Amino acid sequence: MSETVDDWFVREVLPHEAALLRYLARVWPNAADIQDIRHDAYVRILEGADRLRPTAPKSLLFSIARNLMIDRARRHRIVPIDLWEDLDSLNVLVDEVTPERRTSIRQQLMKVTAAVNQLPDKCREVLWLRRVESLSQKEIAAQLGISEGTVEKHMMRAARLLSDLLTERDLPVVRAEPQTGTAEDHDHGK
Amino acid sequence: MENREPAEFAAAAWIARREREDWNESDSEKLSAWIAASTDNRVAWLRLNSSWQQTTRLKTLGAQVPRGTVPTPEQTSVPFFNSSEEGNPGASTAVKAGLPESTRKRPAWFDVRVRVAAAVLVCSTITLAWYLIPRGPSYETAVGVLQAVPLADGSRVTLNTNTHINVHLTTNEREVNLTQGEAYFEVAKDSTRPFVVMAGDKRVVAVGTQFSVRRDGEDVRVFVTEGKVEVEGVAATGSNTVQHATQLDAGSIAHASADGLVVQKKPLAEVEQFLSWRSGYLAFDRTPLAAAAAEFNRYSKRQIVIEDPAVAAILVGGNFRATNVEAFVRLIESDFPIAATVEPDRIILTGVPAPAPQLQK
Repeated sequence: MSETVDDWFVREVLPHEAALLRYLARVWPNAADIQDIRHDAYVRILEGADRLRPTAPKSLLFSIARNLMIDRARRHRIVPIDLWEDLDSLNVLVDEVTPERRTSIRQQLMKVTAAVNQLPDKCREVLWLRRVESLSQKEIAAQLGISEGTVEKHMMRAARLLSDLLTERDLPVVRAEPQTGTAEDHDHGK
Repeated sequence: MENREPAEFAAAAWIARREREDWNESDSEKLSAWIAASTDNRVAWLRLNSSWQQTTRLKTLGAQVPRGTVPTPEQTSVPFFNSSEEGNPGASTAVKAGLPESTRKRPAWFDVRVRVAAAVLVCSTITLAWYLIPRGPSYETAVGVLQAVPLADGSRVTLNTNTHINVHLTTNEREVNLTQGEAYFEVAKDSTRPFVVMAGDKRVVAVGTQFSVRRDGEDVRVFVTEGKVEVEGVAATGSNTVQHATQLDAGSIAHASADGLVVQKKPLAEVEQFLSWRSGYLAFDRTPLAAAAAEFNRYSKRQIVIEDPAVAAILVGGNFRATNVEAFVRLIESDFPIAATVEPDRIILTGVPAPAPQLQK
């Protein structure tokens, strides 16, 4: 109860990002909007939680996302007809504890490693030297032969890309299943 | 929509800026003000910062490469299927996932044994995770890593090497479960909610104070530097009946083991010496070499081994960087008739027969 709303958000909402993006990608025709819809859904759920913390955050997150898509569809008036059907049948998952949260420390390490390994080379080097080797920006600049300003730019880029890379990938658990992943089954409902 | 991108760019800039050497209180205040300025900022910050924090896990991998170097992506890929690694080199590339074509190329996926192993692993991981899921956030440090963690109630915890805690804050109690290692607590005053550290079957209760709890299996040590704390033993069988409670005030060192609880009263300066790890140093004062070596061994994968009792009993003193076991060994070698044999995972200290002068006891 006394946990802050921010901590609650990190623990209860952010882990559903991969599932949310899959849902948005399946329903919304324009891929360019998806991150914006995701962001707006987070803004709404966080503002709501400031007043009253929801008991079923995942379901709420998905219905907020759905409402946001309906708003957008109305505003743009350029949406294919079948979208309305997809939006009406919001029968996604209602299991609140998804596999996303049931990961071991080892799996989390693998996930982070794989995400970091997909960063552009310089971003990855800078992140490693700072976060693992704890070198200062000055030392990193000297070692890589670039300016401190550039080091900070790479760090900034790494910070921005990391969230996306972390959610882009599915969990190893899902890939371990031969063809159809368990998480997929849950998320696609039906 | 229009708000997301600028907010995420700014959040990333704050994260990069926070990594600067000269980051200070006033920067922190500016960051807080920026976060509070809009929910767009707050969302972008929480999301990016949570990802950024996860990169501390990489330190576990850092131990595998020489200091100051960046490993290649191949070097850092963590093998997922331990059981199939040897017979099937392809399996370790499975981890580099994200590469769809490698999934298709791998005939081993369809090997029945691998699939059974995978199924068992998945089931056991889920079962294990089910039992291990903490009720609140948990924090951990790798060997040789020190980390300060602010808690939501305003308290602050400093985790020593190889430590794991779960934090559970409710309206009437603040509970931290120390499952392994050592942590120093600076407790925010809140008389309505006692601050409780659980270490095995011992409860250490404080209202507003500063103390450290160290756990080695069932051995628990408590060091108090400010205020008062209470150590309680909890009956292991069934009910949570409190057996006995002992009050400790500043300057106390309590050691609870299977044999009971021993409390020593020391000058504060001496207690602080036991807590020098918070600044990354180990302090010794006429400490037997065996005990000093045991301290260093907590911070490094490379373990000091002493078999000769005469060497183990030599008394040493001084301040040493906790993670620099090599420097400590060099000093010991130059000051005492001791030879060190350095191997990849251990350093063996043996006595060398001194020629003319007598070996000091």
